[in-house]
Amino acid sequence: MSYTSASLLDLFKFRRKNTPIHKLDPRTKLYYAITISILSLIFSDIIPLGIIFLSIIPLFIIAKSFKFLLKTLQGLFFLVLIILIIDTLFISLSIAISMSLRLFCLISSFSLFFLTTHLDDFSQALIQMHFPYSFAFALSLSVRFIPTLGLETKMIMDAQMSRGLELQKGNLIKRIKKFIPIIIPMIVLSIRRALLIAESLEARGFGIEKKRTYLYQLKLTWKDYLITFILTIILSLSIYFVYFYGLPPILTTKLPI
Amino acid sequence: MIECYNIKYTYDGINYALDDICLKIDNAEFVGIIGENGAGKTTLAKCINGLLRPQYGKILIDGEDISKFSVAQIAKKIGFVFQNSDHQIFEQTVEDEIKFGLKNLKFSPEEIEERLENIIKKLDLEKYRNISPFELSGGERKRVALASILCLDPEILILDEPTLGQDMKQKEYLVKLIENLRKKGKTIIIITHDIEFAAEYIPRIIVMAKGKIIADGPREIITQNNFILEKSSVILPQLAQLTKILKSYNIFKSFNCNFADVHNYYYELKKYLKKK
Repeated sequence: MSYTSASLLDLFKFRRKNTPIHKLDPRTKLYYAITISILSLIFSDIIPLGIIFLSIIPLFIIAKSFKFLLKTLQGLFFLVLIILIIDTLFISLSIAISMSLRLFCLISSFSLFFLTTHLDDFSQALIQMHFPYSFAFALSLSVRFIPTLGLETKMIMDAQMSRGLELQKGNLIKRIKKFIPIIIPMIVLSIRRALLIAESLEARGFGIEKKRTYLYQLKLTWKDYLITFILTIILSLSIYFVYFYGLPPILTTKLPI
Repeated sequence: MIECYNIKYTYDGINYALDDICLKIDNAEFVGIIGENGAGKTTLAKCINGLLRPQYGKILIDGEDISKFSVAQIAKKIGFVFQNSDHQIFEQTVEDEIKFGLKNLKFSPEEIEERLENIIKKLDLEKYRNISPFELSGGERKRVALASILCLDPEILILDEPTLGQDMKQKEYLVKLIENLRKKGKTIIIITHDIEFAAEYIPRIIVMAKGKIIADGPREIITQNNFILEKSSVILPQLAQLTKILKSYNIFKSFNCNFADVHNYYYELKKYLKKK
């Protein structure tokens, strides 16, 4: 069970590389991901969504992460297949294709963000955006424990298999039932660990000072300002055209079916 | 009988967690596997019960190659008690927890009841049988985990770090249990860091380091050999250290004792002092 989900999670894992995109401020990248998400939600036609999707590709190439984009597409294959089948059957092929493109845009924009942003930078960005420190800390802590959880799942599976549990056998319902002996220990262990972490944090004086200071502060450069400016313009123009002016007919062309 | 022929196992394809292991463990033997963290002790044990399949070599249990059996099939013969009992406990009552393995291996309801009663009596779990295993203390949970494996009545029992975090009373309890099992002719393999425990109770000790078996022999030899133990980051048992210190004093110069368990040590020392 873990293979597909683990490889999908892999697409959101930071890789250290020296590229202009990696060097950008996390806030700019987050703003980019959110802008792309909003754009892909306000447009619902194939051509604008296609343009948005095509615009993401060069960024992946600059970030030297093109193979992860391909992996993202590969990972979404089954989901897209389901969307295509259901939407084509009940609505139309145009909607089916635009929905798939929308999904690609949403996932790949955030994938780009997480691939190029170190978790520490992300939490620092959140703090500098005036999120509470405990919130940012909890977020980075939870992401940090994902591999640990994976390892633990493996150990639990081993332990139950040694007691004669056969995960591969039986029909779908039986197989789902067989995950109970794995999920319950996992939940219990996670809660226990959470309590332990909380205690050990308190023992080391977590939250003693209301106001924290930081060794590293993120600073916005002219590149960040420029990108933010361009993104804002694109976003406002798009909103204006979609909601107040109407898109030119070329952009809203639909497939005959 | 367990036979391993040149088994190699690698997790990442680069480093060998098990590197050319050859091993033979007879029926009714009591064996301890010691070694530093990451020496490959648990990997070896997991290969023996089929959780991991070695890339090279083969493992025979009672003359049969295990590569054709599933883990569940091997579980009938080999019981594996994991280090952390919390990795397996999930049922609502201790009774159900013990029954889980029996149900998996498809025993008849009468047989399940009979084995349950037996094991509850044997491990002294009567007063806990209807309460949630999550309410128990660490040591008690460990006992439930042990019971859930022992009720399958395996010929070979592998215990991963059974003494870790256990008090003296629990350790003694474990020793008694193992003695009983040995009387019935069961093979017992213990993976441990606890050299004192090994020196005291386990007749045959296998020392592992960096995926290899670096020594395999009776405890009288292994526990005296500083060179081997140091290689696997284990210090000499205290009684072996005492022998060394006593030897360095003038009056005890010719004192030679290969034992590192209290009982035998006492007799050796008494004999030596009488001779004096």
